Amino acid sequence: MLDHNAEQELRDRLSVIENMLAEGRRTTESWGWTFVLWGIVYCVAIVWANLSHNLRAWPITVCIGVVLTILIASKRRGGTPKTTLGKTIGCVWIAAGISMCVLFPALGFSGRLGYPHIFFACVSAILGLANGASALIIRWNLQLACAVVWWVAAAATCFGSDGQSTVAFLVAIFLCLIVFGTYGMIAGTQHNKRRGLAHA
Amino acid sequence: MPEVPELNPVVHGRLRLALLSLLSSVEEAEFTWLRDKTEATDGNLGAQLLKLEEAGYVRVKKTFVVRKPQSSYRITVAGRQALTEYVRALKKLLGPAADK
Repeated sequence: MLDHNAEQELRDRLSVIENMLAEGRRTTESWGWTFVLWGIVYCVAIVWANLSHNLRAWPITVCIGVVLTILIASKRRGGTPKTTLGKTIGCVWIAAGISMCVLFPALGFSGRLGYPHIFFACVSAILGLANGASALIIRWNLQLACAVVWWVAAAATCFGSDGQSTVAFLVAIFLCLIVFGTYGMIAGTQHNKRRGLAHA
Repeated sequence: MPEVPELNPVVHGRLRLALLSLLSSVEEAEFTWLRDKTEATDGNLGAQLLKLEEAGYVRVKKTFVVRKPQSSYRITVAGRQALTEYVRALKKLLGPAADK
């Protein structure tokens, strides 16, 4: 029979294991900044393209977004552990990014990207797929809700006028990139403050 | 009288247990990440990792990144097995209290 102190110590060991396993599995929240960054990139591109009717607005803004993502990600990578889960989610997003980088320049150069509806619907569908895959892998309902918003936006942007389509896309950007990304950043910061453990 | 399981003393140390648990959830982790997660001092962390390495529970890979030494640790099969057995023994000792 264990006395109270011994039992408390063993319980403490059990909670150390549970806390550390949870710590090791936390990866997604530290990527909140990418969502916010791409939310800003899309907004800037939409505003620039609509105000100036410059065909280069989207390619230039997206290229700047890609460069910034690579630069910030490489700076933040130091000390981050390799996890199977992290690599899997990373691969989903890299594949989604490559799909967009291949599809949209091809549509643009071939002159078949005439309607903004097509562009918004394709971007929304690809982002819905990436968010949905990530959410199902890590079983995160909030991200799954973002995927649903993107899928609804993909369908909604197919209908209505150019303006209505743009508004539907902007709403999805605001909710799923800016709000969701900001939540991820805040949650990550709060988690870092709360964290506390272990000495031998 | 039921047999009381013994707890592996190498795994039982609080920091060593935290390190093994952390490493069991990742493929590989750098020293600095382990230090941040456990909030241990460099000296203490290094000493406990050395004990785990000597027991064959973790493997270290030392590299140089931009001329700075970098140590990456990963749990071995023996380490994962030791952790599993430790958890099993712990739950057996605590009995129904483990679920509370």
